[in-house]
Amino acid sequence: MKHLFPIVAALAIAAPAIAAPQIGSQAPNFRLTDMNGKPVTLGQFRGKLVVLEWNNPDCPFVKKHYGSGNMQKTQAAARKDGVVWLTINSSAPGKQGHINGAQAKNIVAAVKSQPSAYLLDHDGVVGKTYDAKTTPHMYIVNKAGKLVYAGGIDDKPTPNPADINGARNHVLAALAELKAGKPVSVATSRPYGCNVKYKDS
Amino acid sequence: MSALLCRLMVAALMLIGLQAPAAAQQTGGVNLIVSLQPGAKEVAAGGSIPVAFVMKPKPSWHGYWKNPGDAGSEATIAWTLPEGVSVGELRYPVPERLIVSGIMNYVYEHDYALLADLKVAANVAPGTRLPLKAKLDYLACTKEICVPESAEVSAEIVAGPAGSAAVKDARFDAFEAAMPKPLGVEGRFVVENGRVRIGVPLPASVTVADPYFFPLDYGSLDHGAVQTVTRDGDLLIIETKAGANGGGLTGIPGLLKIGDGQGLLLTAKPGPVPAAGKPIGAGAEAGAGAGVILAALAGAIIGGLLLNIMPCVFPILSLKALSLAKAGGDEGSARREALAYTAGVVLVCLALGGALLGLRAGGAMVGWAFQLQDPRVILVLLLLVTAISLNLAGLFELPTMGGGSKLAGTGGAQGAFWTGALAAFVATPCTGPFMGAALGAALVLPTAAALAIFAGLGLGLALPFLLLGFVPALRRRLPKPGAWMDRLRRILSIPMFLTALGLAWILGRQAGVDAMALGLAAALLLALSLWWVGVRQGRPRAWLPLVPALAAGLAAILIVPLEAPAVAKAQGVLNSEPFSETKLAALRGEQRPVFVYFTADWCITCKVNEKGVLSRTDVAQAFKDRNVAVLAGDWTRGDAAIGRFLAQHGRSGVPLYLYYAPGQEAKILPQILTVGDLTTLKT
Repeated sequence: MKHLFPIVAALAIAAPAIAAPQIGSQAPNFRLTDMNGKPVTLGQFRGKLVVLEWNNPDCPFVKKHYGSGNMQKTQAAARKDGVVWLTINSSAPGKQGHINGAQAKNIVAAVKSQPSAYLLDHDGVVGKTYDAKTTPHMYIVNKAGKLVYAGGIDDKPTPNPADINGARNHVLAALAELKAGKPVSVATSRPYGCNVKYKDS
Repeated sequence: MSALLCRLMVAALMLIGLQAPAAAQQTGGVNLIVSLQPGAKEVAAGGSIPVAFVMKPKPSWHGYWKNPGDAGSEATIAWTLPEGVSVGELRYPVPERLIVSGIMNYVYEHDYALLADLKVAANVAPGTRLPLKAKLDYLACTKEICVPESAEVSAEIVAGPAGSAAVKDARFDAFEAAMPKPLGVEGRFVVENGRVRIGVPLPASVTVADPYFFPLDYGSLDHGAVQTVTRDGDLLIIETKAGANGGGLTGIPGLLKIGDGQGLLLTAKPGPVPAAGKPIGAGAEAGAGAGVILAALAGAIIGGLLLNIMPCVFPILSLKALSLAKAGGDEGSARREALAYTAGVVLVCLALGGALLGLRAGGAMVGWAFQLQDPRVILVLLLLVTAISLNLAGLFELPTMGGGSKLAGTGGAQGAFWTGALAAFVATPCTGPFMGAALGAALVLPTAAALAIFAGLGLGLALPFLLLGFVPALRRRLPKPGAWMDRLRRILSIPMFLTALGLAWILGRQAGVDAMALGLAAALLLALSLWWVGVRQGRPRAWLPLVPALAAGLAAILIVPLEAPAVAKAQGVLNSEPFSETKLAALRGEQRPVFVYFTADWCITCKVNEKGVLSRTDVAQAFKDRNVAVLAGDWTRGDAAIGRFLAQHGRSGVPLYLYYAPGQEAKILPQILTVGDLTTLKT
């Protein structure tokens, strides 16, 4: 009888967790609309290296890397070598960093960012598929479409721009290794920053 | 009452500590205000004191633990210190979990203090003013936004003569109490198929509430994954998803939270860990496994059978049975209908159970645990069982639901199916008492046992009809619905009342006589309200009188003491008296030999020594022969005075065994005691 005690429960059902893609596995394809309203898929870049950058322009950690020019520098170095750079914004409507295409164009122009495309993921589906947790959160997909890097932009997880000097830029390092035909030595690292502002589940 | 009083005092201390104006001390930060507070104004040359960064987040803001979780960042500190002053690492209090849109954060959502231990070199001249300056960079966040803040704070201390006692600030007692304690032994871990299992040695006797392992390093555990915590004797086992670096781990340092503000620091090293032990909660008491599941199933089938004679179910059943009897000869269709009816009942019951288990999983994910060790849960159960008893006794009626009968009216097997579903679902209010019991059990039992209960309930409910379908003779022997059903219902209230009585007793055992009185008062108030509801039954807003009763019940849940007063706890071994430094000094003054031991409920080494050595009769005899006084210090809750005493003897945690021969200084005895260590003490 002791186990037949009742409890009134009024609990919230948590959203089911999706397994994050593992390093070395196929990077899930996705289709998003860019800031110009054009559809972009990951699959269309097969044969090229692709960098995914999770972005929320109002997040102090994102500002650390854009305000200092570190992210633009990384972008420029990558794109010079023919790497595709996709900036993805998963901020839900009403949340910090949520922007429409026109606002995205303004922001991209203002910070002199040069992504191959700035993609809007308002419902957070792509972010959740990749298990993107922070802004910034960086991923690299190799020419065969496999995920080869997931983690932070560098190894100094602070919001302080002064810490960029002397930090190891994991993305540049990985791209250099890939260019040289070597495996990525640091394939995962701690992503750090603000939590991605997904819609409330 | 003293436990409650003690909690209030700690809260008050904390409040005073955090509110006191910081004379000549700046504060920094905007959303998370920081001030620097030394533990004493004067520090002996060669001595040390703790200094606190008192952190006060504005409402809805939070600061971060050392490992911030999946987002956020830890505080960094830059000290500017005068010569001769050095400082240790920041120490963080036990953190909390905060899940924002599915992302795990390890935070503090209330005022807290980070501590650092400051040392003054022996060659600093007494009277030297020592200005302390620190720049703390940290992140302050709400659930929506984050702001990096920087606080430049300062304080000044003065070097005192060597050996002078440091004047301790009473606020630091609360700061220290909030810190995790070193467990003192290593844990073990294994990684298999992307899952980590950590075994932590923890005495089986210590109760844990909402346990959670906070990993200190990134990548060892998946922060966001659910942690399943079970116990196997003196081992607590945590199983969860491995983190990004789960592959080549050599150690998992972390903090095991075992209760509100109570945490243990440990490192788990690679080693064998048994598969999951007993689940925490009800299963842990009864011993989970086939036995529990079978017992639950049997109980549920009986409960389901009883449901049939509930006044609102029986008419449905008898109607259907009557139609079966009328149909007569066709045995085949009777059986088909009986099976369809059973399927309808069992499916609806299982669906209810599944929905509930989903809720439970969701609750566990956000940190809700349902445990019978928690007095609050017992109090809720007490109130609910009281209400159920009163309902069965006929004090008030639950409103009935309509609808659904159209489907049930369809003939044949389909109609039978829907009749079953109807019996199980539409009649829920009147089956409520039993459904409620099943729901409660499902919340605290392992998943398999919980589902067995629901299936059993359905099966029991369907059983009479199933029998009728297969044994035609029974159809003629069916009793008629009537007043006897109400009488039976009244009688069934007796075991429910007895259950309520048992719950009140458990509450008293767990949290003391005050808690029991509180629970009974809440139950009385509820009974009066329900009585009133019963009188008003049928009128609009008949349920209004319940509002104050529920409010009072809620208040009772909030203020119920969470543990029994200290005096009610088991006496220490060897007729010990509680430790205090004055008591120790007094005993030594009397030239009595003194044995002092420090213990904690969660300390496995302590418990092994107490069981295997300290409680032996030859040790007791040896102590008696030598007239050795015994003092016991309980550090379970992190008493600050004991913490300082431990530190003075070079220990950061328990156990510590000291022996003072008359007129001599303390002799530190080994951490693993032997009987010989204690029977050969010199006087």
